[in-house]
Amino acid sequence: MATAELPNYGAVSRRRKDWGRALIAAATVLFLATALLQALNSSGLVPLGLRDWRPTLYAYLVWAVALGIGQVMIRGEAGLRALFILPAALFTVAMAIFPTLFGLSIAFTDWNLSSLTGQKFNGFDNLVQLFRDPFYWNAMRNMVIYVLFVLVEYAIAFALALLLNAEIRARKFWRVTFLIPLMLSPVAVSWMIGKSMLEYRYGPAARLARWLGVNNPSFFTDPWVARLWIEAMDAWVSIPFVMILLLAGLQALPREIIEAAKVDGASPWQRFWQIVFPLMLPVSITAIVLRIIFKLKLADIIINVTSGGPGGATDSVSSFIYREYRDRSNVGYGTMLAMFYLVVIVVFITTLLNLLSKRMRRMT
Amino acid sequence: MKLELFNRIVAMQANRRDFMRGAAALAAGTALGSSMAGRALAQDNLRAQLLAIPGVNKGSPTDADWQKVGELCLGPTKANVAEGEFAGVELTFFGINNQGLHNILFRGMLKGWEAYTGAKINWIDLAQADYNPRLQQSIATGTVDFDILAMGAPLEGDTAGKGLLDEMPDWVKTQIDMDDYVGYLKAPVGTWDGKTYRISIDGDCHTMSYRKDYFTDPAITAATGMTEPPSTWAQVQAFTKAIKGQKDPLTGGEAYGFLDPLKYGWGGFGFYFLGDRAAAYAKHPDDSAWLFDPETMKPRVNNPGWVQAIQDVLDLVGTDGAYPPDQLNADPNSTAFSQFLAGTGSMVCWWGDVGSNAKTSDSSIVGDVTGFSINPGADKVYNSKTAAWETPATPNFAPNMAYLGWGIYVTNRVSSDEKKRKAAWSAAAHLGGKDLSLWMAAYPSGFQPYRNSHFNYEEYEAAGYDRAFLEDYLGSNADSYNHPNAALEPRIPGIFQYYSIAEDELMKGVAGQYGSAQEIADAIAADWEKITDQIGRDSQIKLYQASLGD
Repeated sequence: MATAELPNYGAVSRRRKDWGRALIAAATVLFLATALLQALNSSGLVPLGLRDWRPTLYAYLVWAVALGIGQVMIRGEAGLRALFILPAALFTVAMAIFPTLFGLSIAFTDWNLSSLTGQKFNGFDNLVQLFRDPFYWNAMRNMVIYVLFVLVEYAIAFALALLLNAEIRARKFWRVTFLIPLMLSPVAVSWMIGKSMLEYRYGPAARLARWLGVNNPSFFTDPWVARLWIEAMDAWVSIPFVMILLLAGLQALPREIIEAAKVDGASPWQRFWQIVFPLMLPVSITAIVLRIIFKLKLADIIINVTSGGPGGATDSVSSFIYREYRDRSNVGYGTMLAMFYLVVIVVFITTLLNLLSKRMRRMT
Repeated sequence: MKLELFNRIVAMQANRRDFMRGAAALAAGTALGSSMAGRALAQDNLRAQLLAIPGVNKGSPTDADWQKVGELCLGPTKANVAEGEFAGVELTFFGINNQGLHNILFRGMLKGWEAYTGAKINWIDLAQADYNPRLQQSIATGTVDFDILAMGAPLEGDTAGKGLLDEMPDWVKTQIDMDDYVGYLKAPVGTWDGKTYRISIDGDCHTMSYRKDYFTDPAITAATGMTEPPSTWAQVQAFTKAIKGQKDPLTGGEAYGFLDPLKYGWGGFGFYFLGDRAAAYAKHPDDSAWLFDPETMKPRVNNPGWVQAIQDVLDLVGTDGAYPPDQLNADPNSTAFSQFLAGTGSMVCWWGDVGSNAKTSDSSIVGDVTGFSINPGADKVYNSKTAAWETPATPNFAPNMAYLGWGIYVTNRVSSDEKKRKAAWSAAAHLGGKDLSLWMAAYPSGFQPYRNSHFNYEEYEAAGYDRAFLEDYLGSNADSYNHPNAALEPRIPGIFQYYSIAEDELMKGVAGQYGSAQEIADAIAADWEKITDQIGRDSQIKLYQASLGD
């Protein structure tokens, strides 16, 4: 079909292959030599007067172009097909994999921005410090609590999705209305709600609480109350996201099964619990896992409203890392915290998905 | 004669045209004989004119006022720079935008300077808490992307110490009249290795602002037994505990005593507020150091003096109703601007802008009932050299010269381009000019008096300040600046890292995460030791000793 219309690059001469290999090799040597010289310049061993790493970036771009041309020259039609994916792959290497590896190299250094001597390799010291850091583990414990709240958010979102899926008046209006919080920036929510509405003296929530008889309403002083309010603000922004996924799932359900159950005399609760809920499980699991991933990155609301307080009660791992970086310029340790957290997230999500997958297989 | 005329003009709330007409009439009428006298008169005219913009009780100054002040103060610039001399020059200015002042204010004040010189200024505005991280990152990653820098002297170790600043040309020293600076802002502050880098625009110290009406209100005085403001921390503690259940004489709301910012986290600046308490207990008159041992950099923050200060805070935290209910979420901005100036609480230690805002800010309701004093003292002081408490005959006072004032610095990005360099220094000198500084000391600007000429009470009186308030407010600043036992902080690299981590530990401490004040202090000390080792103990010792003048 389409491949038949493509020019035939199948027959590639040996000479052309050799030129292709030579082109890639030359570009690779250029790239590696540039990177090496830059590294020597950066370490001060060979001062070349280079002020930034742009030469290495340009050498990488040249190498990427040479690699593409070389692929076509060596592999003919297969090389041409590779050109469709190669730019994306190289972009990912440059923008995701390289920074991760670079970050990993920083994680094993003692690098305080105020230090006159700059970065110093310090082996596993940062990792040891991490395991002994009670504030980091306090933030981890908070994350467990925040993640458990995802189940509550899911329940609320499911209820809302059922409502919006029912034949109610002005359904479109309500769907848009319930989606609005999702469109708000968490920073705006932090200030509008956390800093203004919940302000203990003049905030309307505090005034209402006083009117209801609460003497001195304070929303962020008690650890559990503060945690709940942070969770409430985050939930308010994020429940619409879960809700919209679930609503899409509900609309895709085969209506004949539900109708058949109704004809057979199943009560609304039975129809939900024994038909709708099991059928929605794949969508539910997707929604919950996505929400957990977002939840693990929770930081903006906390940073703006409580800075992790009172006494670290609302701190998330991300907000803790933010302070380590921002306030203490402790780049090496901060990066180790972030890297360790990345590993925790990957392991947790992978385990969760495996467990859910096994359970789903047993159910079906 | 002329002063009386100006007083009358200001009292009549004359507009600028009336004022100029009056000044012209005065000049013509008096027919001054010498040009020296003429210049002096013009100078006095200008200063009086500046202080009438917009005038006390005329609301907060606006951008139009800042522009007017900037234009009126262009004289020294015109003497050194030809019109349009910097055409085509672009400069980047790095600073904060706290309270809608600082950089925002500078924009207006430099507008006339830009129009006259032809230079253009681009702005990097930062929230106060973001200031230090952004600066440190720029320095560490070699990405200093600004030519002019508003910065406090404690950060000179991070900048001048790393060769990032441009040395001040001699013509600038003359233009800004550096000899007029108060004593503690003269060298070595602003200098590094004998070279001058800083144009001061601020003189920092914390003073105590208190509500006078709390000490005359019958119910409160009956409950507390105090008719005079506290002069020691022990009295502050007693008053704050005893006032529980009383009503604020001004607002009718709950009455409170001293306002500690229990949300200390403020990018390092929040630690100064524990320093206010600790200086009285831990800054011994015979020892210039109070944060570290100068010989070893061993932290003193866990010595009995500092622990007492933390214990005082914990005592109030543990006293039901001693603080407003949400105090755990009150940062220093809240204690000064949302609480004290808005009528909550009766005492706060802060920089001088509480004083200038009390009378001139739209959000202040306490201008007529606010009094000022130097920070409270302590009945006992810890001597680190003998490792023992001492009980002096009179309380130990140690005003906290927190941050040593903002200054304007020029970075070495302009050093190789003489035109750009002159433009940068000219802009900086304009902001640090003698006359312009008078206005900044008198009105909300984020800065407080820092020149000897800022303590001429008559000038402020002419602007509409009442004399008693002036002497009280400015006097507390002057007394702090000139105090023989003033607590100065070290100008060493990473100083705000020390402060910042201490803030974290303090916040956890007041939230009950540590067993005692000593545990909190020990945790801070352990963190500080780690930072010192990271940055380099030997170099820190050297720089700390240098900053103490040892």
